[in-house]
Amino acid sequence: MSKSQLNLTRIVLQDLWHNKWVMLLALLVVLNAIAVVYTSHEGRKYTSQWDQLLQERDRLDIEWRNLLLEEQSRSEHSRITRIATKELNMNRPLPKNEIVVRVP
Amino acid sequence: MSKQAKRKQKPQLIQWRLYVVVGFVCLMFTSLIGRAAYIQIIEPEKLRHESDMRTLRTTSREVQRGLITDRNGEMLAVSVPVKAVYADPKVVHDKNGFADMRRWQALADVLHEPKEDILKRVQSNPRKRFTYLKRQVTPAVADYIKQLKLPGVYLKPESRRYYPTGEISAQLVGITNIDDKGIEGIENTYDDWLTGTPSKQKVRKSRDGHVVERLDMVQEGESPNDLVLSIDQRIQQLAYRELKKATEANQATSGSIVVLDVHTGEVLAMANTPSYNPNSRENLQGFRMRNRALTDSYEPGSTIKPFVVAAALEAGTIKVDDIIKTNPGRMRIGGKIVRDGRNYGDLSLSGILVHSSNVGMTKIALSMPVQELLGAYQTMGLGNYSGINLEGESAGLIHDRRRWSEFERATLSFGYGLMATPLQLARMYSILGNKGVLYPVSILKLKQEPEGTQVLSPEVAQSVMEMLVGVTEKGGTALKAHIEGYPVAGKTGTARKAVAGGYGEDYVALFAGVAPVHNPKLAIAVVVNEPKGDRYYGGDIAAPVFAAVMSGALQMLNVEPISKREKVRLAANSRSVE
Repeated sequence: MSKSQLNLTRIVLQDLWHNKWVMLLALLVVLNAIAVVYTSHEGRKYTSQWDQLLQERDRLDIEWRNLLLEEQSRSEHSRITRIATKELNMNRPLPKNEIVVRVP
Repeated sequence: MSKQAKRKQKPQLIQWRLYVVVGFVCLMFTSLIGRAAYIQIIEPEKLRHESDMRTLRTTSREVQRGLITDRNGEMLAVSVPVKAVYADPKVVHDKNGFADMRRWQALADVLHEPKEDILKRVQSNPRKRFTYLKRQVTPAVADYIKQLKLPGVYLKPESRRYYPTGEISAQLVGITNIDDKGIEGIENTYDDWLTGTPSKQKVRKSRDGHVVERLDMVQEGESPNDLVLSIDQRIQQLAYRELKKATEANQATSGSIVVLDVHTGEVLAMANTPSYNPNSRENLQGFRMRNRALTDSYEPGSTIKPFVVAAALEAGTIKVDDIIKTNPGRMRIGGKIVRDGRNYGDLSLSGILVHSSNVGMTKIALSMPVQELLGAYQTMGLGNYSGINLEGESAGLIHDRRRWSEFERATLSFGYGLMATPLQLARMYSILGNKGVLYPVSILKLKQEPEGTQVLSPEVAQSVMEMLVGVTEKGGTALKAHIEGYPVAGKTGTARKAVAGGYGEDYVALFAGVAPVHNPKLAIAVVVNEPKGDRYYGGDIAAPVFAAVMSGALQMLNVEPISKREKVRLAANSRSVE
């Protein structure tokens, strides 16, 4: 009985050891597959994030353009001149009243 | 059978059952593998197509037209994205879009248009596939319309061009039409440079609308370019304001002013009246949109006189310290009479220019061959394009003919019988301030110094400029162009407008000059066309505009006023030529 009785676990392990390179390669294949899935998912996440940033950029660009218009219309020279002369009682000195300060 | 017997019974293999089960299992696996192989290898296209239909999209990135700024980065034209609202009447009809009239009422309200008008456009022809409901609506309104969820009503991105400076630089910058294409001025000339094309790309989108994969470019976009003009908006607005004041006060038909940087040929300001508001496209009128400073040419009148003197000095027919007799203040040539305002007696060259003596000018002009004078005019930029490269520029007019009567030669010397644009006039005066070098005019901000041509010797340019100082001093014709602190070398002009068969009752008042004489910086030409008031002299109408703009602009550019010592030297110099 003892002679004929075979240890199955042993055989399996022996067989595995015998084919250890194949097993290793199989394991690598599996790992590789998981890595591909992982990276492509990461890639998609980044693409999505990138796209959202682009949209954000477009939104900010539009906002910038509108702010620019507002700034321009508020800082329009004739408006500034009008406010300075009418409301703040300022005036431009004549050339003869100007004093030149030379920076050495 | 006893319990014992049952246990001892040997299990029997029923062969056919085994085969059936194994057969079924095998069949299942083969069919599964077969199906998988079929989908994967033999016919993968169909499913791929189905997937692509659900995930593949073409996105386009809209680009805005380039900005136009002045030399200091102030905005002259800005594009802002807006939306166009359009309808597909067929879809509206098919989807029974008129069921809920409240939505259409809301649409009409937000577009500020009667509901009937909008409905008429959509209902008139149910088979039509496209009709604009409103163009250029703001993003907020567009959002509102989106939420109305009207079937068959869509939004389309567009762009709206704003001109923050409005009428001040309207003719120069020009405008675009509703389809964002430049039709006037800079917008027209540099349309290709300013316009970009949207890029289109295939992308894969996830279920929630995020882009997860970028595939190939369908259309490579072209990004638009910005444009930096040589204009200084501070000077531009000052020039426009002063010109407008003068035009209105004298009830003139129109007016133009050009401010040039003497040392580079850059245009710092170019304004015209009457102007228009480029931000509203309704009631645009052609005569308001023309950039008269370069499209309209006038007879330059006396403003041309310094260049006759310069040409004669260059040709050597007169000397700087020559004295010319103008007694008795009139002169008969070829049966016609040239006359002065009064008898000025003996005049130096400076005196001739200061008193604008026609007799003196005639003598100088007749001292040299007419071809030489015309040649000099031409080398100084008359009758040639200025190099500004804008649509509609006039080259002015110099007659090219073999025979000239003596009287015609005389009139040439005081600015009749030839035409110049205000831009050309300013350019000619810039020669005087730039030691005789003529530069091509540029409307774009220059990165490096342009290539000029020496058209007058530096000494001639300098001495003619100093001769002109007297014009704005006591005893000259343009006291109103005098600026305290900045000596001006300028000349007035008053020309009768030519009509068919002679000269009419209308005048053109001109003033052109450079300043400050001790360190020239700006050349300005002012033309006021057909003033209707009592006064029509260049010295009364154009000179005050010149003075206001010149002194303001020099202050803005931080040009140092003349020092006492310089003043003494200049006074001594101009006295020596008097």
